[in-house]
Amino acid sequence: MTSLQQACSSLYTERDARNMRVFNYWFFAAMITFAATTILISERFLAKGAVAWGLTVLTIVLFVMMVRAYMIFLRGADELLRKIQLEALSFSFGASLVFMIGYRLCERLGAPKLDVDDPMLVMVLVFALGQWLGIRRYAGGEEQ
Amino acid sequence: MTNRLRVLRAENRWSQAEVADRLGVSRQTVNAIETGKYDPSLPLAFAIAKLFSVRIEEVFSPH
Repeated sequence: MTSLQQACSSLYTERDARNMRVFNYWFFAAMITFAATTILISERFLAKGAVAWGLTVLTIVLFVMMVRAYMIFLRGADELLRKIQLEALSFSFGASLVFMIGYRLCERLGAPKLDVDDPMLVMVLVFALGQWLGIRRYAGGEEQ
Repeated sequence: MTNRLRVLRAENRWSQAEVADRLGVSRQTVNAIETGKYDPSLPLAFAIAKLFSVRIEEVFSPH
């Protein structure tokens, strides 16, 4: 086990691990529904009628439940873990904002046009980087 | 802020995990407080003082 893995495993209390599991269930349910709905609609397996709208609403509801589960996790989290998560979230938000504003100017200078959901990739990657930096900064120490 | 958490823990012969369990926080939180990487919230600081049956000023000092 690496020192980073050790830090992660000892950063979660039992309650944090339980709340994170609940978040993961909603996350996977939302992602599977999103992928299935996208394929069904874009590959024309499903007409753009009531069923398609129903699946779309279901996907949105599952994502809202995922966000709610994250809020519950964050509110109940161990205070160091919460600090790391909040710093990573602010880093991610700031980086995404800078990317969206900055890249809009780059596009006007001739950079390739990006899709509207491309900043989401930046947001997710910077959030992961922010968590890694937070764990390195605050956690990772062995017992002395 | 400096603290005497490691000294108090050693006097009681508790591991970081035991202290963390008693306080309801993670072991990394206890470690981060001991190493000065993280200053605890006021409720946690009071809980630490209560755990060792000392006053909060005997655990934490401002410099």
